[in-house]
Amino acid sequence: MTFQVRQIALKSNGEEIVRPTTVEGDELLIGRDSACAVHLPDLAVDPRHARAMLRGDGTLLVESLGEQPFEADGRSTTRRTVDLAVGAELGFGGHRIAVSRDGESGAAVLTVRRVEAVSESAEDIDLGTAFTLKGLLPGKRSSAWAFAALMLLAFLVAPIWSYATYQPLAMQKDARRPAGVHGDTAWSSGKLSLAHHNLENDCQACHTKAFVAVTDNACLTCHKEDAHSHIPDGARLLRARGEPQGVARFTQAVATAFNRPQGRCAGCHTEHEGAGAMPATRQQFCTDCHDGLRTRLPDSKLDDAADFGTAHPQFRPSLIAAVAPGGKPVFAQVRWAPGLKEANGLKFTHAQHLSHSNGVAQMVRRRPGRFAADDALGCQDCHKAEAGGARFKPVVMEEACESCHSLTFDEVGGTFRTLRHGEPEQVVADLRAFYRGGAPARPATLSGLGRRIPGDAARAASAADYARAVHFYPVRGDQAVAEVFGQGGMCADCHVITRGGGAATNGFAVQPVAQNTRYYHVGWFDHADHRKSDCATCHTAAKSSNDARDLLVPGLDGPGGCRSCHVGENGAKLTSAHVTDPVKSDCAMCHAYHMDADGPTGGKPWKPAEQRKSQGIVATAEANRPRRVALAR
Amino acid sequence: MASIAPRRRTGASRERTSTHEGFLAHRDFRWLKISAALAVLLIALYIWVPLPAGHFGSSWLGYTLGTIGALLILWLTMLGVRKRAITPGRWSLKAWTSAHVYLGMLLIVVGTLHSGFAFGWNVHTLAWALMMLVIVSGMFGIWVYASLPRALSENRYDAEGAITEKQMVEAIRSLDRQIHDAAQPLDAESAALVNRSLEEDPFAGTFWNRLTGRYPRDATRTAAAELRQRRAFLPRRADDPLDKVDALLTRKEAMLSRMRRHLKLKTWLQAWLHVHVPVTFALIAALSAHVVAVFFYW
Repeated sequence: MTFQVRQIALKSNGEEIVRPTTVEGDELLIGRDSACAVHLPDLAVDPRHARAMLRGDGTLLVESLGEQPFEADGRSTTRRTVDLAVGAELGFGGHRIAVSRDGESGAAVLTVRRVEAVSESAEDIDLGTAFTLKGLLPGKRSSAWAFAALMLLAFLVAPIWSYATYQPLAMQKDARRPAGVHGDTAWSSGKLSLAHHNLENDCQACHTKAFVAVTDNACLTCHKEDAHSHIPDGARLLRARGEPQGVARFTQAVATAFNRPQGRCAGCHTEHEGAGAMPATRQQFCTDCHDGLRTRLPDSKLDDAADFGTAHPQFRPSLIAAVAPGGKPVFAQVRWAPGLKEANGLKFTHAQHLSHSNGVAQMVRRRPGRFAADDALGCQDCHKAEAGGARFKPVVMEEACESCHSLTFDEVGGTFRTLRHGEPEQVVADLRAFYRGGAPARPATLSGLGRRIPGDAARAASAADYARAVHFYPVRGDQAVAEVFGQGGMCADCHVITRGGGAATNGFAVQPVAQNTRYYHVGWFDHADHRKSDCATCHTAAKSSNDARDLLVPGLDGPGGCRSCHVGENGAKLTSAHVTDPVKSDCAMCHAYHMDADGPTGGKPWKPAEQRKSQGIVATAEANRPRRVALAR
Repeated sequence: MASIAPRRRTGASRERTSTHEGFLAHRDFRWLKISAALAVLLIALYIWVPLPAGHFGSSWLGYTLGTIGALLILWLTMLGVRKRAITPGRWSLKAWTSAHVYLGMLLIVVGTLHSGFAFGWNVHTLAWALMMLVIVSGMFGIWVYASLPRALSENRYDAEGAITEKQMVEAIRSLDRQIHDAAQPLDAESAALVNRSLEEDPFAGTFWNRLTGRYPRDATRTAAAELRQRRAFLPRRADDPLDKVDALLTRKEAMLSRMRRHLKLKTWLQAWLHVHVPVTFALIAALSAHVVAVFFYW
């Protein structure tokens, strides 16, 4: 029996060279050792790897000599019987041996062929890419497409999908999207202000239509009550502003071109600027129209106004011009000037009452604990603040004046009887009733019935006593009425008395009195914000005025005027004048845009929350102000 | 440079003046100066121009900066198109690249001022962040372009001169063939060890291996080490085939490490572009979303 071993090698051009050898015998060795009949120069093959034995029945037994297996028909094994008629393919390392039978001689044929290169590096290597990152990193082009698609999907498609899904909820006050992730929230450029915090997840509440700037109607869906127009005529508002010039004209043209109309709520009330309170409106918003308003609206009754420190018109307080007979005051707006008078019908001497050295002060000293200070009257002894502290209540005679200016006229068993304030007819009636039966009794000693004692001294004394009693207790009520109402009487101390009354008051009449509780109706002045200042800081004339008609409310300039401290939005006044404790003051400090004096807050301007809490300390300068001694103490 | 007077080639001086001027120094740093001036101008505008409602993307200055920034991004992206058409002259590719680099850095100022420093978790800040990522990766690219090519050259030179990439591969192939032949007499276990070195792809390894230049489970080194260990217990004899195999493996190891140093440097030179380019397109997509979002919810 013989083997035919056919070693096949490849030429560089791919042609095969066959080197046949014949091995006599029925057994041969396969291995790396050159002594083996089938010599495989392959490091994966053992030096003596396997033995092949021909057997009589026409089969070939191949078995490993060591533990190293080989492949037979693709399966790893250490022993395999091959039917030569059928044939098989054996694998040793990088070599393959095809087993068959030669048709003529019947010898076993082993065709050996190298199928794997000597080493990995001998394989084909594409030098164009081997030294690049190809295959190690995703390609630049493919990842560019992938990233771009991801971005568009997450930040364009998803938000538009959310918009389209929830658009029907727009313009409904209480409609809210379900909690969860909505794609368009990724478009939010910043947190909403605190007031709108609950709309954070509801873009459609304000952005009602695609590519349409937030409309006023969207705002008014909720703000039905608190968003009054500044003036009813919107066209006039635009005329007041005038045509913008320069850069503003250009930006407006651009805004119009991009479908962003002027004069919307959102034009001033900007959003998405962080989770705080909305910022207060800047002065420029007002002065855009009010600076030089007259040139654009010649028929306007308003004066031009710009920065408070330099270009604010003089105040025009509402003063009582007269008091109608029913007590209703007739107001007139007058441009503030020093020495203005107000016809309030009262007589009052502020200077005298606030003095530290006269009878008033002496009276206070004798009644310690009764008044706010123990050496003289103070403003607060008569003037009481309203709830909230913005303004003062009218002075009430019974609370403020009567403790000194007593209306007592009789004492019965320790109880004092007083005349009724504000009701002259009752005063007259009470006096008449008192004197009807209250004349001093004639002493018996003067009527001849008395027991005589020697001498006339006792009788003379009785007569003198009686005469004095008669003199001091007028026998007729009318005389008492005349004394009360007349010059030097208790009514005339404070009131102007005329002779225009009827019979019920014996011809006397008290001029009606009115007190002015609010002088400035367009601006907002809040006494609570000025608590740290003494009254006389602003009401400088109070210490010297002895005429109740004097207007003690300060104006724009002059001693105690608002500009003594308030210097405009950016302190423009400071460039031309010295201000000891400057307070920056923009328009919104005193003026409200949407509200007027008839509104629910009475024209109180809106303030950011943090300023509201501080109760009046609106500028740092005030806190450090040295306390002035209370009213000439 | 044209201003240098041509020397007569008398041989008196062999000193050569390099006329090469890189894209960074192009025209005496023209684009650096232009960009720096623009940056100063924009910062001054940002600080001193009065805006009605503070700094925000939606002020007129904000929209202007945003428009400039978006157009600049598109123009900078065009380098990818431009670099495939090399032309000389005023608008040479070098000039364009120089402008790309310095105007790209100017974009940091433009984009950041456009944001008004109002950052949040939204598509607008995302676009800004992607822009910064692109710019920073580009700056990193400039740094590696400026510093690594010298190391790349040094690695390629040895006593016999420069070696090309093709020669590196050929050298390894040749060594593999020699190792294969030398290892024929070895016993089965040693041969299997050597075979592991041969069967290892010299370009194998992850991106991380290439970036660090560390290949902790390298078969060639393992084979050499283990063979030496085995040999330590065998008696010395002349013509030991292990000696030859060991010497060849050591040479292969040296060649491999040289090629891997080459791969490492090339990886650093190339990897930044795998951030720079795809993120640029992500940026353009996010930028589009940003612009659409602004007008969609106007």
